[in-house]
Amino acid sequence: MKQRHLGARLYLIVLLLVLYLPIFYLIYFSFSSGQNMNHFQHFTWEHYQTLFNDSRLLAIMLQTLLLALLSGLIATTVGTFGAIAIEAARSKREKSSLLALNNVLMVSPDVIIGASFLIFFTALGLSLNFGSVLLSHVAFSIPIVVLMVLPRIKEMDATLIDAAKDLGASSYQVFSQVLIPAIMPGILAGFFMALTYSLDDFAVTFFVTGNGFTTLSVEIYSRARQGIDLEVNALSAIIFLVVLIGVLIYYFLSVRSSRTKHNRRIGVKL
Amino acid sequence: MKKLLWGISAILLVCLGLWGLSNKLLQSSAASGNHKLIIYNWGDYIDPDLISKFEKQTGYRVTYQTFDSNEAMYTKIKQGGTAYDLAVPSEYMVTKLRKAGLLEKLDLSKIPNRKYLGKNFIHQSFDPQNEYSLPYFWGTLGIIYNDKFVKAGSITSWNDLWNKKYRHNILLVDSARDIMGLSLASLGYSMNTTNTIELHLAKTKLDNLGSNVKAIIADELKMYMIQNEAAIGVTWSGEASEMLAANKHLHYVVPKPYSNLWFDNFVVPKTAKNPQAAYAFINFMLDPKNAAQNAEYVGYATPVEAALKYLPKSVRDDKQFYPDRKLVKRLEVFKDLSKSKVQEYNDLFLEFKMYVH
Repeated sequence: MKQRHLGARLYLIVLLLVLYLPIFYLIYFSFSSGQNMNHFQHFTWEHYQTLFNDSRLLAIMLQTLLLALLSGLIATTVGTFGAIAIEAARSKREKSSLLALNNVLMVSPDVIIGASFLIFFTALGLSLNFGSVLLSHVAFSIPIVVLMVLPRIKEMDATLIDAAKDLGASSYQVFSQVLIPAIMPGILAGFFMALTYSLDDFAVTFFVTGNGFTTLSVEIYSRARQGIDLEVNALSAIIFLVVLIGVLIYYFLSVRSSRTKHNRRIGVKL
Repeated sequence: MKKLLWGISAILLVCLGLWGLSNKLLQSSAASGNHKLIIYNWGDYIDPDLISKFEKQTGYRVTYQTFDSNEAMYTKIKQGGTAYDLAVPSEYMVTKLRKAGLLEKLDLSKIPNRKYLGKNFIHQSFDPQNEYSLPYFWGTLGIIYNDKFVKAGSITSWNDLWNKKYRHNILLVDSARDIMGLSLASLGYSMNTTNTIELHLAKTKLDNLGSNVKAIIADELKMYMIQNEAAIGVTWSGEASEMLAANKHLHYVVPKPYSNLWFDNFVVPKTAKNPQAAYAFINFMLDPKNAAQNAEYVGYATPVEAALKYLPKSVRDDKQFYPDRKLVKRLEVFKDLSKSKVQEYNDLFLEFKMYVH
């Protein structure tokens, strides 16, 4: 491999440092025995103990995860079908107008989406609870999924479908055995994006939570009024660790699968 | 496709597991239907042990929700779609909620423990008969100073802020009513005045404070005072108690001639599904022992007079947070002013802010 330019390396290192230092700073103080992040006092597990005794915060964390998974799943399903429908649109004009409608939702600020959901739900007389939060998360995740899946469908060779039909496949078989496997990477990417968006979201959730359901971001924001507890640092450390492990597993899996594919290809050539 | 279906079912299974686990964590005692109590309170504003104790004693299951500002709470209650049984707004918000018809009248016969409340803290102007609210915590507006820069005991009245010594060394909390109020108080006018001349005089006096002001900020004030960034700050006692705990050099005074008295109050919103549970909870929290425990945890001053004897002596005798009765009597509670008057306060304060910077 060609040696990278020294300046380029330096730039990369500085950039990564800037991105990661705040997180490590946060984690570092989760082990401090003090009450704030001004000075590191001495090492302690105290904040982790209070965290594991705080069943409310833990329950909220689990519910946040549950919400992310469920909304991701639903949004991916709806979004995938949506992407297929957009691609199948008859005229070019229809396609581009559908896509534009999709993009408007992507670009509009969360605050406006959240406020409109609040007004919408209360106008319908729906009570604000898990259901309302789930619905709104699904709604703002769908456009992202559509955008992730669409390029995959475009890239796919349309003759594959014709070939499958020629060979006598029913529409369901074409869908399940040709189309879906071909766009699978896009679907997975869409799912993970939806998951991240749901975990991340504060503004929309802030408007539609109520009646015994809240997510981590909203809860931490409410707590911040009295200065953030180091308990939150401990929680962040744990979440960071879990995400890191998840990403590492994903990385090794994808490296392995790409390697086997590569070998196979070489094997065929030989 | 098979793989996809497997994936979907795996995710659903995980969801089910998460749901079960979180429910188990939340359910400290099994109960349903009429045994639910939803509380809407400021973040981290109650001792969680008291909630478990209440659940054990009464069999109600408490759901604790939090908000970060009176306005956010008002919107959530007004919009409907929520069923909070109990909320804890500040006094001006009690008036606003009441005027909007969003409050349930309290059934005081269900709250016998209200007899433990101090006389100075009930029958306030925002709810003269305590028909809609009972106090939860109270506090004052005052001056916090750092004895590294200011001689201990040298600040006793609002007028001390104008001393040339403190040039560029005072932090003010960004609140029109409070800062205009301190200037009014220093002149001996009511902090609720609607007299335009008095207001303009107060503003003129405030302008002279300009060269002493380092910054007008909100929550950051706490951090700056703790880190010795400024000699003097004007803020609320609740905030001050946290600063004092973090920095030994800080002191809090309720300045002469008088200052503001604020309350956070229990109210039952109209949307409540289970007011009985709310009454039981208010009654529980007004029990002297519980009130003392809560005050020790939160660090604010409790209005439950009978609770004082359960507090450690160092807390009880702390004149900074439990000023003597004579002083409390002189404190003024903010009244809900007409919209145009509120605008006048805000405009004058804005002019002052522009002059400072």
